[in-house]
Amino acid sequence: MARRVRGSAVLVSVAALWLAACATATGPARGPAPTAAPAKPTPRPAAYQSEDFIVTFARPGDTPETLAERFLGGADKGWMIEDYTGLRAFAPGQEVVIPRRPWNPAGVTPGGYQIVPILTYHNLGEQAKGRLVLAAATFREQMRYLKANGYRVVSLADFVEFIRLDRQLPQRAVVLTFDDGYRAFKDHAYPVLKELGFTATLFIYTDWVGAGRGALSWADLRELSAAGMDIQAHSKTHADLRRAQGETEAQYARRMQAELEQPQELFNRNLGHRTQVLAYPYGRWEEGLLPKVKEHGYIAAFSVRRQGNASFVRPLAGHRSQIYSEMTLDDFAKNLNVFQEENLR
Amino acid sequence: MRGAGRGWLAAAALSLALGGCAALTSSTPSEPGAGPAPLARDPLAERHRQQAEALERDGQLRRAAEEWKIALAITPGDARAREALRALQARIDQAVAERLDEGRKALARGVQVEARRKFLAALALDPSNRAAFDALQSDTREVEFITHTVRAGDTLTALAQRYYGDRSRGEVIWETNQLPPNPRLAAGTTLKIPEIPGVPFVHPEARRPAPAVAAIPTPDVPRPGTTPGPAAPAAPPTKEEFTAEVNPLLAEAREALERSDYPDAIATVDKFLAGKPGDREGLTLKKQALYGQAKSQMDARQYPESIRSLNQLARLQPDYEDVPALLRQARTRIIEQHYTQGVRYYREEKLKEAIAEWRVVLEMDPGNTNARRNIDQAEKLLRGLEQRMKK
Repeated sequence: MARRVRGSAVLVSVAALWLAACATATGPARGPAPTAAPAKPTPRPAAYQSEDFIVTFARPGDTPETLAERFLGGADKGWMIEDYTGLRAFAPGQEVVIPRRPWNPAGVTPGGYQIVPILTYHNLGEQAKGRLVLAAATFREQMRYLKANGYRVVSLADFVEFIRLDRQLPQRAVVLTFDDGYRAFKDHAYPVLKELGFTATLFIYTDWVGAGRGALSWADLRELSAAGMDIQAHSKTHADLRRAQGETEAQYARRMQAELEQPQELFNRNLGHRTQVLAYPYGRWEEGLLPKVKEHGYIAAFSVRRQGNASFVRPLAGHRSQIYSEMTLDDFAKNLNVFQEENLR
Repeated sequence: MRGAGRGWLAAAALSLALGGCAALTSSTPSEPGAGPAPLARDPLAERHRQQAEALERDGQLRRAAEEWKIALAITPGDARAREALRALQARIDQAVAERLDEGRKALARGVQVEARRKFLAALALDPSNRAAFDALQSDTREVEFITHTVRAGDTLTALAQRYYGDRSRGEVIWETNQLPPNPRLAAGTTLKIPEIPGVPFVHPEARRPAPAVAAIPTPDVPRPGTTPGPAAPAAPPTKEEFTAEVNPLLAEAREALERSDYPDAIATVDKFLAGKPGDREGLTLKKQALYGQAKSQMDARQYPESIRSLNQLARLQPDYEDVPALLRQARTRIIEQHYTQGVRYYREEKLKEAIAEWRVVLEMDPGNTNARRNIDQAEKLLRGLEQRMKK
């Protein structure tokens, strides 16, 4: 948000000039009565606070995280200060405005609106194979790119709250998802995510769990869940969930009962909770499917249409961008747009 | 985004510097509505007040309100700022209500693109406005697009490069137009090139379509007439994959098949078929795996095992490849094995064992005269031997 760059060094120096200039130029004009004792400069408080904002002054070495730790109850809220001020570092004594609560949950400004990319991976391996088996080294490089470029990996749960207008997300929020439930996630992706402090969602299809040589088991999923990864549904059999040609309404309802409800039962039995989010197999969906998805308790669902998500995206028609093994880092970065410019004044 | 407003900020800072001094010199404690003088003169708060006023003049109402709130955080007793904020908030509420009203009217006229813009403008003023948010989420699903008439040689990736500067967005054009997998684009047909949030059009013809342009619903709703007709002349075929995702069990079974691990391929495809009985792709793979397994068992002279595989295959498709001939061949080999084993026992004078082997041959091939003759011969010898033993 360019507008928040007001705390920049240029501005600080201009402000300093102003204070100095005013002190000399206006001193006599607003000076106290001759009889009064010489005015002592009132020491500034460490911070001014209201229910909306805190105005404080940076200490040497302060970062959004140290300030968030001091004023917002945790370094994890550093993004609020960074997004509001547009700054990653502060000069000692510099004024810093800290928002105490969400100031833009919809992510809409007069210059456009926020979009949140959701990246989709499938399998990983030592070497790339086909489009959907990404080389582990490529994955590591992509994750480090996110970190180095200030992207903030947020959980899918936070994203779901964002599209319900219940949570503001960092401006450079990105969500990571992995489809099917490959064991390679545990071997190649999880260690990288852990190292960088990222979280991810695994969309698993339950027939695959523990079935294939390369599949995660329920025990693996429990372990990953305990380690902070999120597990959600990708149907029972990974079939296209659109109504097939010649399929009667009754047949379709029965098929959807299996595809959408059995994962719920298995999640409950094996992970101790139901699933609320669905990734459509092959990314395919149609209008007629949505009431069924809702009926079975899903509050959000995703295709693989290659675009980001505004806060006001339809919750059962979210978008995800698949990352293919042949993509260069530049190709990868093209999927990371976080803002749609549009004149909304 | 970042840094884009630096010029403005520098200018604003400068104007504040000048304006700040002016405010201080002109401000007096007796000014109507002013708070306690020491508070009102706090230069820090004054700067935010100045900024709030400048922003309000510029029509940036929400940001102006924030600046008033920041000034009030510093000087909570500043009644003038409080009043300014109250008046501004009323102005914002009024502007939001107007945009909501305009949006609803546009919706009623069926002009979704305009409605969308109005609701967005309401949210830009009040980013937690649930009415605007709900209307955007539920009622305005259409996006702007431009129409492209296909020319010979067009491919979706080339069109994506042309319109978005990103080949991989061909998937979005593919999905929007509900095209079949690996489509051939027919010259003369039209395609919708949708606006993709965050991906500005790069093609000069495509920049910011006029609001009057027709709109389409967001994807996945089939639009009749958008798919190129089969009779239209096809552009040279280009391999474009838009359905890369595969069923992992099926992919794993296929991999096992490629490395000739037939038991693994069959076990994996069986798991797949348990979830999707009758799936054509799964059944094809299973037949391939059973056939490969039967052949490799034949090569390893495991004829009974081969027959079991072939029988399973024949139940799925009796005339698959040369299954009937292979079955005959496997039977013949089994008969030969038993016959030869019988001869081996006979030579070792293990007559009973030899007879058992030949009987198996007769069971499988009742017309096998050699086996019958050998049994007769062996039994005769056996009887002779038994009589000799009794004596």
